[in-house]
Amino acid sequence: MSSWQRIKNILIGAGLMIVALILSIFPNMSANLITTIICLALVLYGVRMLWFYTTMARHMVGGKAILYRSLIILDLAIFTAGLSGMSSFVIMIYLLGIYGFNGAISVLRALEAKRFGARAWKGRLVNGIIALIFTVTLLCFGLIAGTTELLIYGYSISLFYSAVMRIIAAFRKTAIVYIQ
Amino acid sequence: MNSDFHYYATYCASIIAGYSHQEAMTISYSDQLVDLCCKTLLRDLGAPLSAATTQLQLELMEARTDIIGLQDITRIWSSFHFLPRDLSAKPPTPCSKKYLNKYRLICGPNGKLLKMTVELAKDKPLQAAGLAMHILADTWAHTYFAGTPSMVINNTNYHFYELMPGEDGDIRRKITFRHSASLPDDLDNCIYTSSLFQDNEKSIMNLGHGRAGHLPDYSFIRYQYLPAWAEYEEYTKDNPSDYHHAFCQMVYAMKYLRGIHKEFETEQYDTDSVQPHIQEIDNIIRKRQPDASEDWQALGEKLSGKTIDPFDLNRYQEEYKSAPKDQKDNTFIGKFIIAALAQKSMVTNQIFNSGSKLAGYSIDYEKGLPGRQAFRKPIFCRKENKP
Repeated sequence: MSSWQRIKNILIGAGLMIVALILSIFPNMSANLITTIICLALVLYGVRMLWFYTTMARHMVGGKAILYRSLIILDLAIFTAGLSGMSSFVIMIYLLGIYGFNGAISVLRALEAKRFGARAWKGRLVNGIIALIFTVTLLCFGLIAGTTELLIYGYSISLFYSAVMRIIAAFRKTAIVYIQ
Repeated sequence: MNSDFHYYATYCASIIAGYSHQEAMTISYSDQLVDLCCKTLLRDLGAPLSAATTQLQLELMEARTDIIGLQDITRIWSSFHFLPRDLSAKPPTPCSKKYLNKYRLICGPNGKLLKMTVELAKDKPLQAAGLAMHILADTWAHTYFAGTPSMVINNTNYHFYELMPGEDGDIRRKITFRHSASLPDDLDNCIYTSSLFQDNEKSIMNLGHGRAGHLPDYSFIRYQYLPAWAEYEEYTKDNPSDYHHAFCQMVYAMKYLRGIHKEFETEQYDTDSVQPHIQEIDNIIRKRQPDASEDWQALGEKLSGKTIDPFDLNRYQEEYKSAPKDQKDNTFIGKFIIAALAQKSMVTNQIFNSGSKLAGYSIDYEKGLPGRQAFRKPIFCRKENKP
């Protein structure tokens, strides 16, 4: 990990901590704000990826995957925008869904890294499993109890956990396989 | 290519080209030094960091991938390890300028820049000849990859097969890549180490042939794959043939540097001089082994009748460190540094003139414009050498 990547991870970690704090302090007001932020972030990311496909990746073997990914992300952004004005309960279910999906991707990537003989797969696997357990537990309790607060506080804790893991990763020694 | 070819095979080629044992040792040492002359070493020596000809794993790990960092990486790897074949090349379909600039950095043999590289070493100390031979040999080994971090150019996918000789022609065996630095390549089971897939265009993992592992560095291997830039056309890389051409071209180039040939032309190979040893050379190149040093060393010692000392990175360091400031350029490492700066200046200038800033800006010192102090050295040396 380069110095810039470490700084970036610390900044993202700090940002996630702030979002977690806002969510826990203003549980009823902040769900819509966070949905808007996520929507804007997805639009920017999707457009950037689409631009990269148009100018560079369309010539690359397997470059279509980048086009499909950018379209899925933009679709997700539209869906997120459609959630504004809905109840906090629905928004929280959606946010938890994204969090759980992220956890599942982490598990799959860890298994792939293990298959390729990479060393740093265990940490990723543990993080992914924790995210999945957290999501399933919160969804079960939230749906049974029917309270939004429980989902919001649970989601804040999960965000805080992600932020801490990012900051720890920024200080961790890294090894690369580079072919010289 | 590894030290087996850059050190021992270059020694053999130098002897065949007519150099003495001592001259051949200087050329082969300088050739191998290109793979080790990093900023860390230059800092220890108190030498100009701009003369770096490579980057070590640790340096790459911390390398910046902003525009300045990328230019530094491109200057080093394009100048010494992935010499672009054609800086005016155009892909088959229309593309953006950004893609075009990267496409033009794809390495290959017999390009205009190779001719300029060999001509630059003419009438220069033997260190320059060694440096040029390294670059020449790498144009054959590193064909189809670019010396800049680029996913769209250097990436590879699962479609990767090794060609093994069978009774009824070649047999294709699927190659498996893994990313464990601690495990050696498993040649028997076609399991090789490569850099990780990173879907970030500028990731250091996408520099050079990292995604294809050490395959381009093995002389015996033949493989088929889909280069990221080749629009789904399957390419076959025939290393035994390429290494043979590299060896014969080195002999031809060194005969030019010795003044036997008046001009250096691309696509010329001194097969006549190599012919008496062709069977031995072919056997070494085709032998399935990760390191052919012992075999090349034995051939070299047979050719010259002298012992080839193993490569020792410390051999000339004390000479450079203890030399007075005004005498440093006359030491072994001093001469190597001047050759490296001249080569880097020339390649950066050519890339810049092709309309690309991927290797940075190129400034004409002779017109009195400001620039990095270290690059003045080759110009002063050139002026001093003028009759």
